Amino acid sequence: MRSMHDAKLLADSISKSYSRPGEKNFLKVLDDIRFHIRESEFVSILGPSGCGKSTLLNILAGFETADCGDVACCGEPVKGPSPERAVVFQSPVLFPWLDVKDNILYGLKLKKEDRKESEDLASVYIKAVALDGFEEYFPSQLSGGMQQRAALARALVLRPKVLLMDEPFASLDAQTRYSMQQLLLSLHGKYRHTMVFITHDVEEALLMSDRICIMSKRPGRIVEEIDVPFERPRSLSLTSTQEFSILKTKIIASLMG
Amino acid sequence: MSERNWNTDIIGFILPALIFITWYLVTLEGKVPGYLIPSPVNLVRVAVDFATGYANLTPYGGTLPAHALASVQRVALGFGLAAAFGLPLGFLTGRINLAKSSLDPTVHLIRIIPGIGWLPIAMVWFGVGETTTLFLVALAAFFPIYVNAAQGASSVSPLLIRAGRMLGASRLTLFTTVIIPAAMPSTVAGLRLGLGISWAYLVLGELTGVTYGLGAVMMDARMLGHVEMILVPMIFIGLLGRVSDMLLVGSFKRLDMFREESKQ
Repeated sequence: MRSMHDAKLLADSISKSYSRPGEKNFLKVLDDIRFHIRESEFVSILGPSGCGKSTLLNILAGFETADCGDVACCGEPVKGPSPERAVVFQSPVLFPWLDVKDNILYGLKLKKEDRKESEDLASVYIKAVALDGFEEYFPSQLSGGMQQRAALARALVLRPKVLLMDEPFASLDAQTRYSMQQLLLSLHGKYRHTMVFITHDVEEALLMSDRICIMSKRPGRIVEEIDVPFERPRSLSLTSTQEFSILKTKIIASLMG
Repeated sequence: MSERNWNTDIIGFILPALIFITWYLVTLEGKVPGYLIPSPVNLVRVAVDFATGYANLTPYGGTLPAHALASVQRVALGFGLAAAFGLPLGFLTGRINLAKSSLDPTVHLIRIIPGIGWLPIAMVWFGVGETTTLFLVALAAFFPIYVNAAQGASSVSPLLIRAGRMLGASRLTLFTTVIIPAAMPSTVAGLRLGLGISWAYLVLGELTGVTYGLGAVMMDARMLGHVEMILVPMIFIGLLGRVSDMLLVGSFKRLDMFREESKQ
């Protein structure tokens, strides 16, 4: 049985509305969102643009507060942003005045961990995202894909309880996106992070996740949860199998409502 | 490409060269009396004498170091005061609404009054000379430093702030590790403006009566009829202003370099 206690991340009846300038009624963005995510699970939140999935991620991260409902991480209520719930944004959002290594060390320095250990840990993750040799580069000297890999390492190095990703590959070109998906798949295989992955891309959700929560158009509600049956490790060739196409068609139908 | 740059460089020198040649010719022919415009040759000789005192061409021979030192000290102190107040207050008003709404309107109200307008009341309060000069420099340099620091701090991308917070930065560390570095380009621009204005107000203050200082030399020379010694301090003020600006920009570059080196 799934219980509240083995949930790594729990969202309980979250609702959120925004007031619109010049209008009396509120714009309801999220309506009674509930889900829970287990240890090491990779869950995608899939929805059309404007369905409030980024708002949902902001609430999970603690950047915004829900009007009602609760978010809990490992049984603790979420009160604000924390390295326990590290975020990879749609754009890299690296600190432009720090080089790759210092960007990745930033969170560890704040944790006041041992310098030597931090450096070692940083170089492990720099290698994991294949940025070794680029430690001294500044973000502006890197391509978009490399910047996003640095952002990924910056989050992973903190060993978060949950990694929150907000359409992290949406602004990359197709080829870079494929290689980033590959990379994330292998990282998840290696470190088994608990992941919440926001996307509007059905194929991406199917390829990456253990489970997909499908959101409706505004106000966003979770209309269906789909367990993804494919074995891991997965690779891009999965996307050309028949089972994949069947599931994809089913999800698209569900998205169209 | 390089050839084109070379051409535009040359074009930039044409006008100054023409002015210099005209200046040389009119003073050579004696069309303009030397007590209005001294000849360039004479000016250079007086300037060298001012710096070294090799021939005591004027009563000011060899006194440049003392006067320059007095002026530089006043600028350093006045500018330092302006930065000491302008930077923290600017960063605070840029980020904290309470600070902005309580401080900003007053600062901008005072800013409307031209700095020169403070001269008479400053002379009443602080007397003629030293303190008045410091007050004018500090007051005038404060505004660009404050305004640009505030502008820089308030326009830090909200995403950078979110990134800092989710990586574990508290309110205070967010200030020192994200907001201030992100606000640096605008802040340095403000400091440079402030430093330039410091030199302008230094001269104003020194004209009103101090014993030492490049501005004082100009005023004194005017009364004694040494026209060269009005112009020569102007040149040195320009040079010192340029050098101080280069030092300011250089020290921020050095800071960046130090940051780059420190991580090895």
